[in-house]
Amino acid sequence: MSTGCLIGSAVIAVIVAPWIGGLLRGIDRKLTAHMQGRIGPPIIQPFYDVIKLFGKKPMVAGGAQLAFAYAYLALIITATVFFALRQDLLVVLFILFFGSLCLPIGALSVKSPYSQFGGHRELLQFLAYEPILLLAAIPIALKSGGFTIANIFEYGQPLLPHLWITFIALLIALAIVMRKSPFDISSSEHAHQELVRGVVTEYSGPYLALIELGHWYEMVLLLSILGLFWVTGGLWWLSIIIALASWFIMLIVDNINARLTWSWMLKFAWGAGISLVALNILFINLGWM
Amino acid sequence: MIGTLVGLAILFPIITGLICLLIKNHRARGGIVSLTAVVLIISSILFLRQGPFPIEYSSASTWDSVILVFNYVILAIFLFVAIRDIGQRGISRHNILAIALTLAAGIPLAIFEFSWAPHTPLEVTPALYIDHLSIIMCLIISIIGSLICVYAIRYMRDHEEHRMHLGELKETTQPRFFFFMLMFLGAMNGLVFANNLLWLGFFWEMTTLACWGLIRHDETPIAITNAFRALWMCLIGSVGFSLAIMFLWNSSLNTISLMEVINNGAAAGPLFLLPFALLCLAGLTKAAQLPFQSWLLGAMVAPTPVSALLHSSTMVKAGVYLVLRIAPGFQGTHLSTLIAIYGGAVFLATAILAISQSEAKKVLAYSTIGNLGLIILCAGINTPLAIAVGIMLLIFHAISKGLLFLCAGAIEHHIWSRNIEDMEGIARNLPLLTGITIAGMLSMLVAPFGVLIAKWGAMEAASSIGVWSTLVLVLLMLGSGATTVFWAKWIGRFLCHSPVPGSSKMEPFIPLYHGILLMLITFAAVFSILIAPVYNSIVAPALTETGYTAALAFTTGAWFLKSPMGIFAAWPIFIIITLALLIPALTARAKPEASRSSYMCGENVEIGVDEFVAVADERTGLKTGGFYIENILGEGNLNRFVVPVGIVLLVILFVVAMI
Repeated sequence: MSTGCLIGSAVIAVIVAPWIGGLLRGIDRKLTAHMQGRIGPPIIQPFYDVIKLFGKKPMVAGGAQLAFAYAYLALIITATVFFALRQDLLVVLFILFFGSLCLPIGALSVKSPYSQFGGHRELLQFLAYEPILLLAAIPIALKSGGFTIANIFEYGQPLLPHLWITFIALLIALAIVMRKSPFDISSSEHAHQELVRGVVTEYSGPYLALIELGHWYEMVLLLSILGLFWVTGGLWWLSIIIALASWFIMLIVDNINARLTWSWMLKFAWGAGISLVALNILFINLGWM
Repeated sequence: MIGTLVGLAILFPIITGLICLLIKNHRARGGIVSLTAVVLIISSILFLRQGPFPIEYSSASTWDSVILVFNYVILAIFLFVAIRDIGQRGISRHNILAIALTLAAGIPLAIFEFSWAPHTPLEVTPALYIDHLSIIMCLIISIIGSLICVYAIRYMRDHEEHRMHLGELKETTQPRFFFFMLMFLGAMNGLVFANNLLWLGFFWEMTTLACWGLIRHDETPIAITNAFRALWMCLIGSVGFSLAIMFLWNSSLNTISLMEVINNGAAAGPLFLLPFALLCLAGLTKAAQLPFQSWLLGAMVAPTPVSALLHSSTMVKAGVYLVLRIAPGFQGTHLSTLIAIYGGAVFLATAILAISQSEAKKVLAYSTIGNLGLIILCAGINTPLAIAVGIMLLIFHAISKGLLFLCAGAIEHHIWSRNIEDMEGIARNLPLLTGITIAGMLSMLVAPFGVLIAKWGAMEAASSIGVWSTLVLVLLMLGSGATTVFWAKWIGRFLCHSPVPGSSKMEPFIPLYHGILLMLITFAAVFSILIAPVYNSIVAPALTETGYTAALAFTTGAWFLKSPMGIFAAWPIFIIITLALLIPALTARAKPEASRSSYMCGENVEIGVDEFVAVADERTGLKTGGFYIENILGEGNLNRFVVPVGIVLLVILFVVAMI
């Protein structure tokens, strides 16, 4: 792909991603409501919410809180841009992690018990999913011959048949990143559980809107990474199907599970998630896959 | 010219150290220390501009005799202080082990030097072998080490004033302190230049001596105990040294020239990996790897500049330097793979242990041990890319960790505590100092800084070593996750405060604190931006000279650093991330009227007051705290597994070396 094309796709990614993310969020709420026997809000409710939040009066409860809300969004957009530019997958992940880290640090920079609670738990979520995502880059690179996303496009064959074990592990990681049950230990949809609102307790108005926007980008980016598993070798549209199917699985899992403890989450992620990817790497190294 | 520069690098700091020993005047001593710093920095930079490398240099043979004599003098000092300690404080595990291990290291060495060697002292040509790897070390020691010494001028004054105020100290002990600090720098420079294994061993002992002297500096019972622990643990490495020398001389190789051992190691016969394993043992003890980590953790009782020096530019760096130096000798062997696994295990174990620590210097210490583990992992992977990454990590870790210890020291002198819980919200009163500290932590943790670039390289390098790479990578990734957690939650503690009514005030600028800290954080940033030229000008030549193909490590362009498997677009990432962080950090300021107190279910008192209304309208203090998961991840719990694992790995290391 020419440089111009790449830059074009980066621009498109930055513009389109939040629309897709917001829409998915809306469908999520609608479907969840149906599963719970409610009607639910309109599908474009998340956009109404964000627009309304931007219109609210800014309020701040701690020193560095603001900077981290901006940095969160900016870094996740940066990661999206580097993804669209088909850069090194590890580098994209590192930038994404840095962005994700702004959320707990922002939460910890307010002297508020609920926010601290959410921040600490968010760090534990991070501890659970970061190693899986990083490790998952390895079998992808081993199979496609390099760590850049361009390598995956040049590889010419779908990755999923060789890397389905890694894919399962990534689904576990995705559930943790998206804070879906049973892994929603750092936040909750409802305002009056023991967490109040987890990491975002102390964010309100326009700053909460920034974070919501960041979430949308983050979700689209993660789903795109899952899409990489069938991006070449004909039937490229399967990548979109795979991404959407993964998202739908998350939704189902979210609705049929209750929140579990952090130690269970960590054991499950480090035990099952890491072992799966490790097995995949081992199989590739032994020439079995 | 070379002779002069070698003299300036090794002898000059030792001599000025001796002068410090005689000077009682604070100002004059500060002058001497600053002068030494300036001379060391300039001479190390001049050294870099010498060439062509490698330089082989042999001094007059009298120096061989001097080193021979002083080597036994140092061993005698060890014996003397340990026996004196028995007299003063009774027999303990530490002083008995110190005596036993001094003898175990000294007697084989004496047998070798006075009975086996054809003539005493045994000379080797060249006595000094100086290539880019040595020069990189020399730059780290001379620049960062010197800056730490300059910082110590102010720090030790405050430190002693505080101790005198508490009545713990009657008269100044700074002459001795600066003697050991400066001698340390000279010994380290000697260590990285030495080619004659006897010389290397001598400088090795000298760093052990300086380290012992600095840890026990405050002369509290705990300091004395911990100093002895450091002494005997490092002496285990010295035993390894002596045995390696005997083995090498007795083998068909019949040499004690380090370069010959590395280049023709395999000619030493079927057991040729054994001396490498023994030298690795020396490196691992010095680098405080498992199961020897307790000496470095105990070393934190020393004044903070000592920790900064031990962790960034001297002592532990000698350990990883040695492992990196001899890595070409065991390339492609099982020993190499095992060393990679060993490093990975250390990286993971220390990262998890660090989560449970609330003592600032202990967190930093675990982080150091972990990063050294990462360097050792790179040496074990032993591909050109891995070695390049190891060297880069050596540089960046030295800058960032030196900075962070000095930050911890400066913070300590503002709040008189080393506990992270006491650092809650200090960003409010010490904005500049906290800002630099957080920047330093980020430089250990996130893109685009050098440590992360190195981590990225390590991950890509580790993926290329076949079946065992799976294990190494799992250790590496899990460790990486845990590392993020302990840094992030510490950063969170600094920032945790209620909104400040009115505009915040900057703390007074102390040149010897803030100035040096700013200098180091600038180094961290500039070297990260200039990573491609830095790689090309010093790291790539170091690779070539040690026998690796630099082209297989990184290729560089104006915008990027390219490994054989991936690409790090250094410049664009740096620019974008700096913008993404700096603009909000500097401009995102809420208007005072936007300040609110945090969510307390509506029971708040007023904005900026950390209280809430309890029963009967009673105002109750609001407290928050960090999390440490002490009951699960604490030392008491994890060391039961971690230490045995370290011992087992060490045993396997030797088994692998012998089969």
